[in-house]
Amino acid sequence: MKNTIKVERAKKNWTQADLALKIGVSRQAVNSIETGKFVPSTALALKMARVFETTVEIIFQLEITD
Amino acid sequence: MPELVIISTMDKQKNHLGNRVTVYAIIWCLSYVGSLFVLKSYEVPKEAGIVLTIVTLLAFATFIYKYFRSIYFMDEVQIRVQMEAIVIAFSLGLILIMTLGLLDLVITLNMVNWGYRYLIPYFFIFYFIGLFISKRKYNIENEKYD
Repeated sequence: MKNTIKVERAKKNWTQADLALKIGVSRQAVNSIETGKFVPSTALALKMARVFETTVEIIFQLEITD
Repeated sequence: MPELVIISTMDKQKNHLGNRVTVYAIIWCLSYVGSLFVLKSYEVPKEAGIVLTIVTLLAFATFIYKYFRSIYFMDEVQIRVQMEAIVIAFSLGLILIMTLGLLDLVITLNMVNWGYRYLIPYFFIFYFIGLFISKRKYNIENEKYD
């Protein structure tokens, strides 16, 4: 699964730590999700969408291999 | 803004609980090593030995209770890392016990080195091996970020 977290962060000019604080997880968790090592739960994905003021589908997209 | 305050408070609680888990782990380690030393080195009455064992057991139970409580304050990546570390530790622990159990049938193991009492540190070593593997898998160790 690929994601556009880095792009969305750049739009808002947020660091990983900023995003982590806003969605209530550790900075390491954001890094893990952003690098595609961990797929977040639906609740966390929705929280991300809310703080980025977008939809989950914009942030997370399935790849052909998924 | 209230959301940020709640998160910040949770962070403080999380750190506080994490520190307390470490303290209780140290207390249990000291009580275990202390009990082991006393029971091995001195002629302790049976009742006193049982009391020492119960004290060690209570210290361990408190440590485990605090550890489980600390999980409540972890985020989902941290929970996954902890769970995988424990699964790896459990599997390695089973391998060790199974191997020693089978070997014990064919060769006489030196119980001074391989008795039940001395296997406990291996489980902690296995846990830290699991933690290392799991942290690497989820890129938790990577300090490069922006």
